[in-house]
Amino acid sequence: MKVKFLFILLLLFSFRLQAQNKVLPVLLSPVFGEQKLYLGTDWYHIALADSIQIQVLKFYVSKLRLLEKSKVVWQEENSFHLVDLENPTSLKWNLLIPPTITFSQISFDLGIDSITNVSGALGGDLDPTKGMYWTWQSGYINFKLEGFAPSSSANKNEFQFHLGGYQYPFLACKTIILDQINEAGFVIEIDLKKVLVQADLNKVNHIMSPSIEAVKWSHWVQKSFSISPE
Amino acid sequence: MKKRFFLILLVFITIFAFRFRSEPIFVAPKNWPKTSYDFKKNPLTPNKILLGRALFYDPILSKNNTISCSSCHSQYTAFTHVDHSLSHGIDDRIGNRNSPALTNLAWHTNFMWDGAVNHLDMQALAPINHPSEMGENIKNVVAKLQHSHLYPDLFYQAFNDSIINGERLLKSISQFMLTLVSSNSKYDSVVRGEGMFTSQEERGYLLFKKNCNTCHTEPLFTNLQFENNGLSVDPFLKDYGRFRVSQNPQDSFKFKVPTLRNIEFSYPYMHDGRFKKISEVLNHYVSQKSKVSNLAKELSEPFVLSPNEKVDLTAFLLALTDKHFLFNPSYSYPREVFFGRANGK
Ligand code: HEC
Ligand code: HEC
Repeated sequence: MKVKFLFILLLLFSFRLQAQNKVLPVLLSPVFGEQKLYLGTDWYHIALADSIQIQVLKFYVSKLRLLEKSKVVWQEENSFHLVDLENPTSLKWNLLIPPTITFSQISFDLGIDSITNVSGALGGDLDPTKGMYWTWQSGYINFKLEGFAPSSSANKNEFQFHLGGYQYPFLACKTIILDQINEAGFVIEIDLKKVLVQADLNKVNHIMSPSIEAVKWSHWVQKSFSISPE
Repeated sequence: MKKRFFLILLVFITIFAFRFRSEPIFVAPKNWPKTSYDFKKNPLTPNKILLGRALFYDPILSKNNTISCSSCHSQYTAFTHVDHSLSHGIDDRIGNRNSPALTNLAWHTNFMWDGAVNHLDMQALAPINHPSEMGENIKNVVAKLQHSHLYPDLFYQAFNDSIINGERLLKSISQFMLTLVSSNSKYDSVVRGEGMFTSQEERGYLLFKKNCNTCHTEPLFTNLQFENNGLSVDPFLKDYGRFRVSQNPQDSFKFKVPTLRNIEFSYPYMHDGRFKKISEVLNHYVSQKSKVSNLAKELSEPFVLSPNEKVDLTAFLLALTDKHFLFNPSYSYPREVFFGRANGK
């Protein structure tokens, strides 16, 4: 009798929890310095004499976690998000979190971890039809940036950066932790100017496989994320 | 009383039926090492295997619908390319490697001569995308399958709905490839105590265990490692092997040790198909090799084999031919799928 009662209580309780999960809206906002970033048409200045146009910006965000005083208070299950500037819905996440937690930091991986990389064919955002998987050598592309810049010495002044690598010594997946987030929702900015001012597109305008260069770039990209102040 | 008896009978029948139902489709041969493929993530079913088999034989996977997996991996040659040293793809373009035999892939952990592919599921992406193999991309292939008359139905039978995506496509092809188990050669029957070697084969087996077994390890006849077996470097292809993937200089000119099962039929030999006959391979192993730093230590001195011993060793290698495998109808072109339906079924 008592057991039955407890069971019902438990059931009710879990329903309560389920029902009251709340939505935490998170927006991703790609920018170029002070300007909002658009694909295709706009030119952005990196230096006095050089400008840049972006055709493709696609990357994986995985292992979303919320933290309070560096302690994880929530982590998303099966957490893989393909962010694609061409697909506006991918820039907007509605995270379902328990209402009771307090948090002030978010952490996530830019890219796909090594274990997932060796787990065979996967679906959803990880489906290889998404164009984020290398074919001649297994592995996910964590981050894709393509466009044009007069300073690029490549054919048609184009550049293509496909960053990835899940094996030592070319581990490209980077963890990002951002502080002072608002519990009611926040905007994560990714500022490509911070990345591209460090690059020398005349020398390096293509990265298409795991390499030291890819690891260096991944580090630059890692540093380009911040919480939008407004 | 009688009622009770029937009840018990019924229980027994149900248990039996369940046992029968859950009879695994993939049975690893007795005393073989553990498989590497994670079957839990992709449990084999007859309909998925059939779907994978259809895909394996269907040129729809290539850009101009002319080349299928089987164009380069034909059953009668243990799923390698018939008589070409370097594989031929769409528009007769020539690739830069010899296609390996596809056998016992459930035990493999790395694929391709240099191990560039880390999982069987991901293997098909490489030829589908390779400009001189099938020249396609998987997104297009999925679209073509969605618009075909055949595949929505086959996917429905395999997955209980007709959604076609990359994950399902790749896993189905794996399903078929996982069934390609060769374990019925004369060698296997001897190991199982069902047959006997001739005295020549027996002598060859001893020579094999002495010279070859460290790399071509029984029962798979490969240790699945990367080794440099002392082939001179082809100045035209300049293939660095494993180094391309690992970027570790110690891996230069190392290649995945190929299985020797069905070696009688899987010629030409080596990653670039440079040898056409087993005798040429044996001559390679008895010749002096150039002293590169990562030459396998077993090969630092050439093997010494008398002409008679070469014959004995060859006799043993021929005992690795598995006719059940080469002529197994469940591996062949699935006529019933392609024609049964084309004729309106
Ligand atoms: C144009 C010829 C060609 C086609 C078409 C082709 N392959 Fe291959 N296959 C090869 C070659 C060549 C290799 C070795 C490549 C290398 O090592 O770089 C290979 C390697 C493999 C391997 C790795 C075997 C091992 O032991 O490492 C598998 C598995 C495989 N192919 C399956 C397939 C499947 C499935 C398809 C169809 C989707 C296919 N192949 C289509 C030529 C081809
Ligand atoms: C040190 C490891 C090693 C030893 C010992 C060794 N092999 Fe090999 N064998 C290899 C490797 C690696 C390859 C593939 C080399 C390549 O293609 O670059 C190979 C290829 C072969 C092939 C070609 C198979 C194919 O499908 O292309 C045959 C046949 C062969 N070996 C037979 C033998 C025999 C017989 C012996 C003993 C006399 C032997 N091997 C000893 C490593 C070894």
